[in-house]
Amino acid sequence: MSRLDDALREALRREDPPSGFAARAMARIEAAPQRTSVWAGLQGLFGWRRWRWAAALAGVVLAVGAGEYGIEMQRRAEGERARDQVMLALRITGGKLRLAQAMVQRVEYAPRER
Amino acid sequence: MATAASVAMPDRADFEGIVREHQSMVFSIAYHFLRDRPAAEELAQDVFLQLHKSLGTLESAEHLTRWLRRVATNRCIDYCRRSKLMPRIGLEQVAEPSSPCRPADPMLSRTLAQLVASLPANWRALVVLKYQEEMETEEIARTLGMPVGTVKSQLSRALEFLREKASRVLGESQ
Repeated sequence: MSRLDDALREALRREDPPSGFAARAMARIEAAPQRTSVWAGLQGLFGWRRWRWAAALAGVVLAVGAGEYGIEMQRRAEGERARDQVMLALRITGGKLRLAQAMVQRVEYAPRER
Repeated sequence: MATAASVAMPDRADFEGIVREHQSMVFSIAYHFLRDRPAAEELAQDVFLQLHKSLGTLESAEHLTRWLRRVATNRCIDYCRRSKLMPRIGLEQVAEPSSPCRPADPMLSRTLAQLVASLPANWRALVVLKYQEEMETEEIARTLGMPVGTVKSQLSRALEFLREKASRVLGESQ
C-alpha cells in the first residue's frame, strides 16, 4: 500500500451532498411528467423475469397461430381448386345439354318430306 | 433502508429512503469527477430520476448499488464529453504546495482531487471507483462492462500519471 493510495483514499472520500438534496430530488421526481412508454409500462407490469416468460408464451402462441393460419390457407386453396373443377364440369355439361337440345329441336321442327 | 422488497415496489417514503442511503455515494462520484458542486448535485439528481423510472427492473439491493455506480459514472463521462470539459481542470491550474505535506493534509487532498479531475474521463472513472468506492478491479470491470485487463492497464497508467505529478507533493522518489 503506497502513500499515494492512502492519499487518494483521503482525497476521494465520500462527501455529503448539500443539505436538502433528497427533498429536492423527490420534488424533481414528483414534478417530472409521468411519461411511460408502452415498453416501460409492460416492463413495469411484468418485471424482468416474468416478462421473459410472457415473451416465451407469446412466441409459442405466435408459432401455433402461424401454423393454424398456414393449415387454414391450404384448406382454402384446396376448396377453391375443387370449386373451379366443379364449375368447369358444369360448363362442359351445360354445353353438351345445349347441343342436345338444339339437335332435338332441329329433328322436331324439321319439314317432313313427302 | 434499501431492501430487496423496497427495491421491487417502493412508495414515496421507501424511495426517499433509497435516495438518502445512496446520495453521498452518487453525489461524491459526480463531485470527484466534475469538481463542481452544483453540477454534481444536478447530475446526481438526474441519476435518481432515472432510478425512479427503472426501479422495477432492479432485483436486489446489490443490483441497485451496482446500477447507481454504473449510471452515475457513465453520466459523468457523458457530461464531460458533451461539455468538452476533458479535462475540466487543466494540469497547469493545479497548484502544488511549496513544501511536502502529510497524507492527511487537506491541501494535499485538494491537490490530488484536482489532479484526479484533470485525468481523461475514462481514467477518472476508474480512479474514483477504486479509491472512493474501494472497488476491486474485477468489480469495476463488471460495473463498467469493460475487460478486466483494460481496467488494470488503464488504472495502472492513470496511477503512474498521478504518481509522477504528485511525487513532489508526496516526497516520493520515482
